[in-house]
This record gives sequence, C-alpha cells and structure tokens, in this order.
Amino acid sequence: MTVPSPFDQERDAVLGEALRQALDAGDASAFVARVVTRAGAVHWDVLASWARPGIAAALVAATAAGFLVGRMVSRPPSLEDALVPADAVVLESPGPPDAGVVFASLER
Amino acid sequence: MSRPADGAAPADDAALAARAARGDREAFGRLVQRWAPQARRVARAVLRDTDDADDAAQDAFLSALVDLDRYDPARPFGPWLMRIVANAATDRRRRRAVRRAEPLTSSLPGGSRPDATAERRVLGEHLRAALAELPERQRLAVALFDVEGYSHADIAGILGIPEGTVRSDVFNARRRLRVLLEDWREPT
Repeated sequence: MTVPSPFDQERDAVLGEALRQALDAGDASAFVARVVTRAGAVHWDVLASWARPGIAAALVAATAAGFLVGRMVSRPPSLEDALVPADAVVLESPGPPDAGVVFASLER
Repeated sequence: MSRPADGAAPADDAALAARAARGDREAFGRLVQRWAPQARRVARAVLRDTDDADDAAQDAFLSALVDLDRYDPARPFGPWLMRIVANAATDRRRRRAVRRAEPLTSSLPGGSRPDATAERRVLGEHLRAALAELPERQRLAVALFDVEGYSHADIAGILGIPEGTVRSDVFNARRRLRVLLEDWREPT
C-alpha cells in the first residue's frame, strides 16, 4: 500500500475491495422486491395527496355552481314583473273597472 | 464517475427516472435493481446493523421516487441518489438509540489467525468495527471514494461539504483503516 496523502487522487484498490466486501449486504433480490412493493403503496399515497386539494376544489366549485343555478331558477319576481301584468290586465280589460271596488276604501 | 453494478450509462438512468416519475413501476424496479448494491453499502457505512441499513436504503429509494421530478436528467443519477441515501442513513442513525460499537481493540483477534475460509469474514467484521470507530462523515467519504469510485467533487456535492474537507476526511479515514489492514496482512 502507498503512503497516504491528503492529495491522493487515486483510489486505493486494496482498501476499496476490502471495504466493498465488508459492506456488501449480499443478494439484493429480496431487497429490490420489498422496495418495489412499498413503492406501489407510496405512489398511491402521493396520488392521493395530489388528489385531495383537487377534490376539495371540485366540491367548492360544485357547491358554488349549484347555488348560482338554484338562485337563477327560484329568482323572486322583480317589481317590473309584478307591475306590468297588472297594468296589462286593467288596460286590456274589455269593460270599465268596478267603481264599488275602486272606491271601497274611501267609503269608510 | 461511479456506475451501477450493470454498468448502465447515465442516459439510461435518466430515461428510467423519467418513466418512473410518470408511474412506470417496472422502470422504478430497474432503477432500484441497478443501484441497490451501492445504496445498501453506503447506508451500511453509516449504520452498522444490516437491517437498519436496508431500511435506510429503502427509505431513500422511496424518497427518491417521490422527488423524481426534482432530479435533473442532465446530471448523473448516482450522486443525486447517494445524497438521499446518505441523508436517510444519517437521519435513521440519529433517530435511533446509538448502538455503541465495541472498541476495535477488544474485537481484534487474540493472537491466532483464523483459517483461510474464515479470514475474509473476520476481516470484514474488523473493517466494519473500524469504520464504526470513525466519524460518520469520514466513513461516508472513504466508502464513496474508495469503494464506489466517486470523485472528491462528487462527494462534496453528496455530503454538502467543501471538496477540501472531503480530501481531509478520506485521508484520515484511509490512514486509520490502512493501519488495520497492514496489521491484518502482516502480523508481527
């Protein structure tokens, strides 16, 4: 082995090989299978975490849309809506209005 | 530059990483297969217990899977992954109660050398014990340099320290480990 120096650029093949053997954990197939199996669950976890905000946003949008549609459908009649038919009834009536009904409040 | 066990080109890693990021489980499996031996060794340089090291390596692969969109395919995959492995192993070691390694002197053979068949196994045990005596950063530095073949610059990036510190760590770790190896091979 060479004299060690902090300026060594070369790898120490003897030390490297000895360490490699010391650190090697052997056959990796069981490890690989375990990681890949866990990865399936992690992927779903990640997709679920991405989906959660999307689902929340969709619910908010659906609620807002439902509220607006509901308001449009059950909109109360406006003043014009209420007055125009009454005028039309009076003006379009073939006979004169009943004076008894018109002056009923003044007779009290 | 260090390559995985099957000598795959960096472009292959980038392509597999891109596929894995899109949810291709088979591509992820091939990446794990390629890099598992190296990841397990690096984790074991930090954690002496094999099961702990494998758990840390697994955590690292799963973290890498989640963060694959952050991997720059223009750069080599190995240093990026080894940084995650080193962090996972270091985090695990810190979280767990530190199992103090036996002092190296107490684990050295008491005079008679083992036979040839057992020699390698015992040398491995001694080297792991010697590694455990080193500061964690030195362990990682020497494993990444002499075992995995990364450059000083790569290791500086992996460990997040200056290149000069890497050189110093490798030098100090080697000096100590070399003494052990010399003693082992040339007993007096």
